[in-house]
Amino acid sequence: MKYDIIIIGSGPGGYIAAERAGAEGKKVLLIEKEEIGGVCLNWGCIPTKSLLNSAKYYHHALHGDQYGVRAEKVEFDLKTAMKWKEKTVTRLQKGVSFLMKKNKVDVVRGQARFTDRTTVAVGDEQYQSESVLIATGSSTMVPPIPGKESKNIVTSREILGIDSLPKSLVVIGGGVIGMEFASLFSTLGVEVTVVEMLDEILPMMDLGLAKTMRKSLKNISFHLGARVEKLEEGKVFFTKQGEAHELNCELVLMATGRKPNTEGLGLDEIGLDYDKKGIKTDQYMRTNVPGVYAIGDVTGKSRLAHSASRMGEVAVGHLVNPEKPKYGMFRSHAIPWAVYTLPEAAGCGITEQDAERAGLPIKTSGAQMAANGRFLAENGREVGQCKMVVHAETGVLLGVHLLGAYSSEIIHSAAAMIEAELRDVDIREIIFPHPTVSEVLRDAVWEL
Amino acid sequence: MAELVVMPRQGNTVESCVIVEWLKKEGDPIAVGDVLCSVETDKSTLDVESEQEGSLVKILRDEDDDVPVLDPIAIIGQPGEDISALIAETAEETAENAPKTEGAVEAKAKESALSGPQVGADKNGTHGVSPRARNLAAAKGVSVEQLSGSGPQGRVIERDVQAVLGSREPATPAAIAAGISAGGAVPARGSGIGGRITRGDLAASPAEESAQSSDTAAVSTETGEYEDIPVKSIRKVIAERMQASLAQTAQLTLNSSAPAESLMRWRKIYKNSDQDSGLSGISINDLVLFAVSRVVPQFPQLNAHFLGDKIRRFSDVNIGIAVDTPKGLMVPVIRAANRKSLLEISHEVKLLAEKCLSGIASPEELSGGTITVTNLGAFGIESFTPVLNAPEVAILGVNNIQLKPVLKDDETKFVPHIGLSLTIDHQAVDGAPGARFLKELGSQLGDLEKVAAL
Repeated sequence: MKYDIIIIGSGPGGYIAAERAGAEGKKVLLIEKEEIGGVCLNWGCIPTKSLLNSAKYYHHALHGDQYGVRAEKVEFDLKTAMKWKEKTVTRLQKGVSFLMKKNKVDVVRGQARFTDRTTVAVGDEQYQSESVLIATGSSTMVPPIPGKESKNIVTSREILGIDSLPKSLVVIGGGVIGMEFASLFSTLGVEVTVVEMLDEILPMMDLGLAKTMRKSLKNISFHLGARVEKLEEGKVFFTKQGEAHELNCELVLMATGRKPNTEGLGLDEIGLDYDKKGIKTDQYMRTNVPGVYAIGDVTGKSRLAHSASRMGEVAVGHLVNPEKPKYGMFRSHAIPWAVYTLPEAAGCGITEQDAERAGLPIKTSGAQMAANGRFLAENGREVGQCKMVVHAETGVLLGVHLLGAYSSEIIHSAAAMIEAELRDVDIREIIFPHPTVSEVLRDAVWEL
Repeated sequence: MAELVVMPRQGNTVESCVIVEWLKKEGDPIAVGDVLCSVETDKSTLDVESEQEGSLVKILRDEDDDVPVLDPIAIIGQPGEDISALIAETAEETAENAPKTEGAVEAKAKESALSGPQVGADKNGTHGVSPRARNLAAAKGVSVEQLSGSGPQGRVIERDVQAVLGSREPATPAAIAAGISAGGAVPARGSGIGGRITRGDLAASPAEESAQSSDTAAVSTETGEYEDIPVKSIRKVIAERMQASLAQTAQLTLNSSAPAESLMRWRKIYKNSDQDSGLSGISINDLVLFAVSRVVPQFPQLNAHFLGDKIRRFSDVNIGIAVDTPKGLMVPVIRAANRKSLLEISHEVKLLAEKCLSGIASPEELSGGTITVTNLGAFGIESFTPVLNAPEVAILGVNNIQLKPVLKDDETKFVPHIGLSLTIDHQAVDGAPGARFLKELGSQLGDLEKVAAL
């Protein structure tokens, strides 16, 4: 079979690319070896958001007193929460399948493998195309810690399928995945300990905000600068400042990072340039092999679902018209991110620490969300902060960092501002709706 | 009375020409017949001669501008004559021809249409820049100092600024503030959102780098130093035709060889002939062309154009000959070669090749072929796959002469053979008729005395 475009992997990179290419009138083949929607929809962004929302309801039910709502016998029913999660996922899967049909995308299940640069085999079938997009994503990377095969040690994928809450949980890794699960389980009353090798959690976050966040998560114990040496069933051994420590727990979550899925694809046979960080690509997502593009986690450029979608669009725009790519080039300086902990955090652009490392002259400002009417009414004294980073001489906005409820829903406007290269004086001319938490951005820009 | 000089029409197919070089300067005295400038079509270079007498008062279009035929390119009049009315007229014409809604390319042409040297930064300051133009330029980040005006006496007016804006993507507020208007190269399309021109895109932007530039810059350094050569003019035409040929035809190449003793013998006879007879210049290639001109009429299916829904066969054989020039491949055509003598063909080939090499072949001389011959024998090529000059259905590649062992009466002899590579469009011609043609051509080349009788 001949196609205009073959896409390997149906995650948020692959299926968005398929949708766009199909809408362009291209004949598209989408190959998926597991579930439509990839990690994001099935074992990542979506199911965790569903569970975190259930936890939030539980939290509000328990702590509604100061707002005049008292509830008794509040229970968290993990089975129902899991069912709702499954429903959400199934519904979204159907939505993606419908989108594929609507855009006349053929979907094939199985492991894809290049036989040459224009031929991809799935089982005994061979498919041909001048353009192939590799969107195979990433999977959990477990470092070679002795005893990592012991019982009751899980990754983010297995922990979404547990049928009862553990009494205690040790999360190894204080990154986004680790922190979201730590927040989820501690909110549900599980005794949670986070063991992180670096000196602070969430390395992409502004150092001050990360510290504030960690301190606000009172139900979680943290061990920073700690190196896990050995695992046993129900036991985690680590060293911190040269001292050996031991933790007892029912369950261990390995949230130690992710590695690109480059195996089994026949990448060496077509001479593709990749290393353990991922497949090398240029600003149009082209690899070193003509006609072969790579997008999303597998490139190692940015491990976020929305980055993958954007990369997919850039690649499709380029292969449809290489002369004038319809969707521009991939820029990575304004990718917003969010952590859906309780409280949540979000950011876009560089931090104060990034600027210091790069030697950029900057000005920063901060604003408290508690000064914001809506935030105060709804969240009381809970943490809420905004930090803004602008270029000291030009006033160009370089970064926005938020901690507090609704942060994830506000951060896109920072992305728009940074992409448009707006300066502080320009942002002051923007009208923000009142009363909303987004006004914290306005407060911060006037603080500069 | 000042008069406009327009881009002359060059045949019916040429829509525009690129000004290669102005040979006269503003202020030069001009006589009728003086060459004002040389211009280039996609195929050849021509001179624009003056039909008026006087002085070159103003040059309206710059070198490298692609100017539509009949558009004004210069004004000839008396020195010091007031030409503002004429300039206004040309500006109006151009403005009418390029309404605001047209795309960036049109707008760019319009922009350059309005640029002429000596204007813009008006030294006496009285006619420099209109207030409206200055305001718009400041708001949008356009450098008026480097802008050429289309207003009276070269005054920069609002329309000139709009022309620049229409020719490029918008700039970000930061890029405007960074002095996009201070000059320096500004790309038509930047690296920002929707192609916006960002600070990082400004050539003369200060050394302090914002975080985003590192990401995009890394890619260009991967390949090391390079030079970008714009694909235009003849290279562009070749690129389009070759790509179209391979995409739209079913190319099949047949390789064979023919005994070359006869060719070599006749070449020697002509070479040693009396200088005055003109025969001494007849080359082996001329002999092959002559044979082709005589054999092709027996195979009318090869002397044709494939036009999709019909195949057009021609009665005369117009042979295109591939000529290697510094600017790229050119294919001048010997018309009705089947009715021309060997000597006529030989003369015409030399004349056309010289014209191509000096860039003065006319568009008519470069079109109308019904079959093409390309000769790489001089480079020692033994066989190749010539690419069809579509919609023609056959192209003959001529290779070098090599010794081949031939078994005759139990004895092996080494006989010189000339290689022939024929590509046909299988949509129009099948393999067998192509092979028959090659066989017949080979047999004629092997015994040239027979060709003379055809």
